[in-house]
Amino acid sequence: MNDIIERARDIITGYDGPKVRIMEVCGTHTHEIFRLGIRSLLPENIDLISGPGCPVCVTPVGFIDEAIYLANEKNCLITTFGDLIKVPGTEMNLAKARANGAKIRPVYSPDDAVEIARENPSEEVVFLSVGFETTTPSSCLAVKKAKDLGLKNFSILTANKSMPNAYLKLKGSANAFIYPGHVNAITGNAFCRQLKDLGVSGVVAGFTATELMTALAVTIEMLKKGEPFFVNCYPRVVKDEGSIQAQKLMDEVMELCDTQWRGLGTIEKSGMKLKNEFSDFDSRIKYNIPHIEGKPNPGCRCGEVLQGHCKPSDCPLFGKICTPLHAVGACMVSDEGACSAYYQYNSSINN
Amino acid sequence: MCVGLPARVVSVNDGTAIIDANGAKRDVRAELLDDLEPGDYVMVHAGVAIAKIESDDETEGNEVMGILAI
Ligand code: SF4
Repeated sequence: MNDIIERARDIITGYDGPKVRIMEVCGTHTHEIFRLGIRSLLPENIDLISGPGCPVCVTPVGFIDEAIYLANEKNCLITTFGDLIKVPGTEMNLAKARANGAKIRPVYSPDDAVEIARENPSEEVVFLSVGFETTTPSSCLAVKKAKDLGLKNFSILTANKSMPNAYLKLKGSANAFIYPGHVNAITGNAFCRQLKDLGVSGVVAGFTATELMTALAVTIEMLKKGEPFFVNCYPRVVKDEGSIQAQKLMDEVMELCDTQWRGLGTIEKSGMKLKNEFSDFDSRIKYNIPHIEGKPNPGCRCGEVLQGHCKPSDCPLFGKICTPLHAVGACMVSDEGACSAYYQYNSSINN
Repeated sequence: MCVGLPARVVSVNDGTAIIDANGAKRDVRAELLDDLEPGDYVMVHAGVAIAKIESDDETEGNEVMGILAI
């Protein structure tokens, strides 16, 4: 254990002020905090809650239904990050659709999907484009590449999300947010400062033990002062201005739109869709997809989990009917989902 | 899909970089970063190098805590 972790641990374990709620927004943070055993250090008056920062978890049921529609009705070859394959749709997930004969192929990056389209000119290839600002640039690069190559058989089904307005929606659910480092690496910190002016506090954190402990200790110290705050605790990767190139790229290819979040409902200007100039690559336009209203399993409490209103273990289905192998909700499927983190690291839960 | 992969740049060529992440080598898109050179460390997401990593986490932790005097 290094000196910083020790100092941070003393601050965290020594906290004896009023009860505070800190929300780690990012699913990777949720998992790392569990894996490193940080939860077991927390005194009773520090409540760490998980937020909506896993793109797979906030993707609504209807999106999976749209993908299955394209596979079944339009005979498309669906390419996707592997995490989405088991996310439940209204009637089935992509794994079941594949077992029934649909063409579903996991890829590591959107570029791989473009490559599949290039190599298979007779296939209509669709990439399921999910992700926050961290992943959206990779979809934009892929669309530009497909356009440069003149590909007519490639398009993306977008469910890309933009974080800033989601934080506003979550205002009041926690005393402070742990912001996802790699979103800020792209967007920069300006919106966090604006949030601070609106009374929303938070710190940007990295992903190592030292970084997470530092971020928590700084949060506690700043909360003690009682003023709204923002601190960048991940300056080795996050620059204040973010990535100008990535911002320009997203601006060129996509624009903000209102979008639905699983559990949070529709949030104004919190989604990203392709601009008109790229509409040939927009699966919804290309295949004229009808409006599909997905129906989540009524027993699943993902929506409340994603807003920090309840813990996964408060869900009656948790660990009984809903497990990673037989997931009822998206939060149990994704490796970054809060329910899967609670399930996987169950033994270390003490608060 | 969201887990960032820290990696060392082995070579850079025309918007593409070969990176080494714990011994595994792969091509990634590098056009979002200027002045990338072999030996630099980058954070990779979905096949794209999204940011340079400028120091180690202990140096960073000392800096952050130092500025706040905690
Ligand atoms: S345990 Fe399963 S059913 Fe319950 S909220 Fe989590 S994902 Fe939904």
